[in-house]
Amino acid sequence: MLLPDYYEFCCRVKIVAGHDALEKIPELLTERGAKRPLIITDKGVASAGLIDIVSAALKDRLFADLIADNVPPDSDLRVVNQLAKLYQENDCDAIIAVGGGSVMDTAKGVNIVVSENAADLMAFSGVGALKRPLKPLIAVPTTAGTGSEVTQVAVIKDHEKHLKMAFGSYFLLPDISVLDSRMTMTMPPLITAMTGMDALSHAVEAYYCLQKNPLSDAHSLAAVRMIYHYLPIVAENPSDRNARLSMAVGACLAGIAFSNSMVGLVHNLGHATGSVCGVPHGICMAIMLPYGLEYNMHKREEAIAGLLLPMTGEAVYRETPPAQRADKVVSLIRQLNADLNTITGGRHARFFQEVKDREGKPLVPREVLPEIARAALSDGASIYNPEDTDYEDNLMVLEAAWEGIPLDRNKIKRG
Amino acid sequence: MSIVKDIPSAKKPFKRAYVGIFLWFTGRAIQAAAKVDKEVKKEFDNLPDDFTFSLGCLPNGPSMVIGKRNGAVKYLGGNPGQHKVHVRLAIKSVDAAFLILSFQESTALATTRNRLITDGEVPYALAVIRILDIVEVYLLPKIIAGLAVKRYPKQWSAGRKLGGRIGIYTRTILGI
Ligand SMILES: [Fe+2]
Repeated sequence: MLLPDYYEFCCRVKIVAGHDALEKIPELLTERGAKRPLIITDKGVASAGLIDIVSAALKDRLFADLIADNVPPDSDLRVVNQLAKLYQENDCDAIIAVGGGSVMDTAKGVNIVVSENAADLMAFSGVGALKRPLKPLIAVPTTAGTGSEVTQVAVIKDHEKHLKMAFGSYFLLPDISVLDSRMTMTMPPLITAMTGMDALSHAVEAYYCLQKNPLSDAHSLAAVRMIYHYLPIVAENPSDRNARLSMAVGACLAGIAFSNSMVGLVHNLGHATGSVCGVPHGICMAIMLPYGLEYNMHKREEAIAGLLLPMTGEAVYRETPPAQRADKVVSLIRQLNADLNTITGGRHARFFQEVKDREGKPLVPREVLPEIARAALSDGASIYNPEDTDYEDNLMVLEAAWEGIPLDRNKIKRG
Repeated sequence: MSIVKDIPSAKKPFKRAYVGIFLWFTGRAIQAAAKVDKEVKKEFDNLPDDFTFSLGCLPNGPSMVIGKRNGAVKYLGGNPGQHKVHVRLAIKSVDAAFLILSFQESTALATTRNRLITDGEVPYALAVIRILDIVEVYLLPKIIAGLAVKRYPKQWSAGRKLGGRIGIYTRTILGI
């Protein structure tokens, strides 16, 4: 077993989970001395009726004019500043973020501005720029995927200056995360599948990346067990509320794991594909996950083999000869993608060639792979990947992932 | 009053001297590698014209500064305070620096152990790390460089390794 000489682990988020967890929010606000929360969300969440459920649960803590639903799909500095103004002008004293990754990032950005009275958010970018606790932030995730409800990072884009600002601090961890099955119940199967694969990629990458440690491992293993088991169930039966809650908890566990152990090649190439071609993050994760395992196999075989136990249970694990366990993990993840493809009527992409936009036009033409391989050299996730990656390595992996063929492991450069 | 006094880093003369000399040597070697090695040259070409970075120990050095000046890569001495740096690599203490710079711990592992802090835009920082890795491969025997980098570049030609090594060592010692 890999036991690092030194490691750090931190997750100080109170997690409230249940089929009626939202009803607890007024009490949670009182505990923190807050009376007037600003609700930050996006149009999609609001039109799915989720804000109505949150509003009903808030009771006398609800102020109808303090619901802002204008967060764009990509967090934006202007919106952050505008919401911060809304917060200050209305004497708010807490933030409730209801949504996916962009809403969480925006809420964290707003929290920096209002807590630090920051005229320029940029002054607080980077790691460790925040020195004291921020205002109470309650995160209510509406996808079982990003894990942002338990991470200490935020990314805000300045679309005018074409800048991407990253923030990292334990003070960015939400105070409370509320996982309520009603928040993910209406997610359609395709979104369920891709966000679920994002969560699985967090759990798996956290288990093989350089910063892994026994504490992140425990969260990874528990997350893999829940997500691998429940993801096909929720994709097939969207209204299975026990399965929905299990996915929410699985994604949260995966978030705790990766925010401590970090992510590697899968996210590295996935981020690059997302920024070059506009492919949704979860789709990139689903496609890349088997390749991240294959690429790092020679350095992490024992860890990867260990994932078989939470995936299949004891009987299959014991029946599988130890030398085949890691390979079996990879093929089961490929099979999961294939099953999700079937469940979604062929819409869940298994490789880049299959990724199409709404008009059916390919989103990742083969000619752009070199550009993606180059863009990946500028993404920080490469630092935590066990094996080194250069332009050629990136291109080799992308080509295999485009065609949908397993990596030729003999071609992977070793030191 | 406590009987046991904290020994400030200035009182670790051996480690400080080792780290100081190492940084000075590496700084001049980077300047040399930018002329000798195509890959290092290309990395610097892709960086902005006045690009500057520092590598040093907290809280007060030793450090080294490298910068592009009028198209050439220069070792700019040991005082980062005089320069506007785009990327700052800071090792948390002289002890941690000694571990890293005597190759008992790779840069990647030092990052994961929260001993090496990187400040600056990520794409630039990654370029600096790639440059440092290449220079380490030139400067160190394989058995030691293998510990300092994630993957020792076995595929480099014998000519690149030997020619580069001679060129970089000569230039580093002569300071050209
Ligand atoms: Fe992700």
